Amino acid sequence: MIGGTPASRPLQRGVTGELAPALARFGGTLRASGIGATVRDEIDAIQALKLIDRDDRDEVRTALRIALKIPREAWAAYDRLFSSFWTGADLVEPPELPPPPAPQERRDQPRLLSWDPVRRRLSEPDEDAERPGGTREGTRPAASPQALLRRKAFDASAWTAQEMAAMERLLARLAHRLATCRSRRWVPAVGSPAGGRLDPRRSYRRAVATGGEMLRFARRERAVDEPRLVFLCDTSGSMDAHARFLLMFVLALRRAARRAELFAFNTELVDLGRDVVPGKIRLTLDRIAARVPDWSGGTRLGESLAAFASRHLPRLGGRRTIVVVLSDGLDRGDPAVLAAAVRRIRARVRRLVWLNPLLGDPRYEPVARGMAAALPFIDCFAPAHNLESLERLLPQLVV
Amino acid sequence: MMPEIVALLADLEAAGYIAEPSTATALYLARATQKPLLVEGDAGVGKTELAKVLAQLCGTELIRLQCYEGLDVQTALYEWDYPRQMLRLRIADGRGEDATALEARLFSREYLLERPLLRAITHRGGPAVLLIDEIDRADDGFEAFLLELLSDFQVTIPELGTIKAEHPPYVLLTSNRTRELGDALRRRCLYLYLDHPTFEREVRIIRARCPDAGGRLPEQIARFMQSLRARTLVKPPGVAETLDFTRALRLLRQDSLDADVVSQTLGCLLKDRCDLEAFSPADVAALVASSREAPS
Repeated sequence: MIGGTPASRPLQRGVTGELAPALARFGGTLRASGIGATVRDEIDAIQALKLIDRDDRDEVRTALRIALKIPREAWAAYDRLFSSFWTGADLVEPPELPPPPAPQERRDQPRLLSWDPVRRRLSEPDEDAERPGGTREGTRPAASPQALLRRKAFDASAWTAQEMAAMERLLARLAHRLATCRSRRWVPAVGSPAGGRLDPRRSYRRAVATGGEMLRFARRERAVDEPRLVFLCDTSGSMDAHARFLLMFVLALRRAARRAELFAFNTELVDLGRDVVPGKIRLTLDRIAARVPDWSGGTRLGESLAAFASRHLPRLGGRRTIVVVLSDGLDRGDPAVLAAAVRRIRARVRRLVWLNPLLGDPRYEPVARGMAAALPFIDCFAPAHNLESLERLLPQLVV
Repeated sequence: MMPEIVALLADLEAAGYIAEPSTATALYLARATQKPLLVEGDAGVGKTELAKVLAQLCGTELIRLQCYEGLDVQTALYEWDYPRQMLRLRIADGRGEDATALEARLFSREYLLERPLLRAITHRGGPAVLLIDEIDRADDGFEAFLLELLSDFQVTIPELGTIKAEHPPYVLLTSNRTRELGDALRRRCLYLYLDHPTFEREVRIIRARCPDAGGRLPEQIARFMQSLRARTLVKPPGVAETLDFTRALRLLRQDSLDADVVSQTLGCLLKDRCDLEAFSPADVAALVASSREAPS
């Protein structure tokens, strides 16, 4: 690194005033490649650069990695971007700075912003509310997958009002039972329960009112802690008839259970947690349809579950996690991959439930290779083809 | 490389912690910018040890807060010593002491139980090293509380007023990633990810920590560990396991790796049934044989 021109080595000018634009540009490059770096991180980075030897390539690389808080998974991408940053390659071709993945996400942002109170008041919060926003932008194709799903979800009177009400009642019961699980955390007890643990702090405070004499003891009890429900929903072609029914169920459930996560998979795994709008099932279905690529396509069950196990399980797994897989188990991939993934998931969660709509057919036997491989690791293998079968499932969701 | 970082690296090594340059850089930056350092990595790569060595190098006290689910402010920050206050009150009652003086006395530092976080803030004679261990085990409410403390290093106790740190402590947070930490907390820290050691570093660690393991044993063990970690394991063994394994071999008076002994002591390294089942005696023998070969 001796004798390069200043233009090719933006970091070595040594003055803060010129470090800042270089770092801002690097931060922008990182963000464009999906590595989050905020302005605060960039300020940290400038501070760090002032403290180290800016001629030492490895030291600059390490220091920036530390100050910009680059997670381990992103190191490979970071190193690649850093090399071009260091050599000044990103200076030569500034037009290429925002790479392709970014626009996809950007397009969605105005939609969220258009959700201002005025518009919500003007239009009813049903499917029509979103339509003007979509057409105004004119970025989505005419025959979008969301239109497809809307038709699917509401034709053939799949959901009558009675059914909907029945489901609501069902889920309200579930919510009540979910709220009986206790955590390790202590919280002030309301009323005067017999159990729990004495709370000296609050007891003394109460004693002030009675001249220092403790007449009523305050107690603490274990906090209520709902189990975390994680749903993995198969949206491949073979599940077409059932996926919408199950998705509706899961979405309705999210109103009852606060800690529910939702993933969809067919050929790849998509985290739908952020697309769910509480209480607005139709809107949510639209959003989900737009987010899931290859809806009604093929399945790569094993790979999708393996991706879940490695990417999300460390965060979501635990004693109180219940994973529910909604799939018919028809898989094109290697059953060994599926078996390994299911085993990994099972090892990290309280209970693994597999809902298979085909099981509703009395003639069905789980002989599909994928299903047979996964079966030994499943705690509960249940049908899910109508509301009645889901009702029988509810006790499984309470631990 | 900055001379400060080189010196720190040498100091760490002298204290028995063989570090990567990136580790020394992170420690140096965290100290110079007075920011907390968030250390992540697999279990047993030396996260907690790093804090201990740092305290030793600074010649200061290590204050440790082990996080767990249900950790609350009373156990982490401070609590009034109620039983003592009550006793004092009873005594004063009998003597007929002056109420105002008594009140001031009852809510003085004398009756305040300092928990780790407050202790780190009120530490006298230079900054302490505060280790907040396994922050991922505490619930997110506690994380939010920590956020405020770590940015200002001051605590407000209603009866006493605000206590500000004279010497902001060096803060190290460790996480095993059992739960994703909040972005706000992560952004407030500098970030260090500790990887498993390379072969050369592992040999040096074994030599530094188990000086009685002589001859070719350290190299053989390190090579064995590297090939073990190259496999897909549920729980890859860390440095802590390597050192346990080395000590076990020394207790069994081994001077080089032996397939039978390794099979019997594999429990020092692999702590998951699936991992243990994945290694047949023949597998272990092959690994041991390749580890015993001198590097070409």
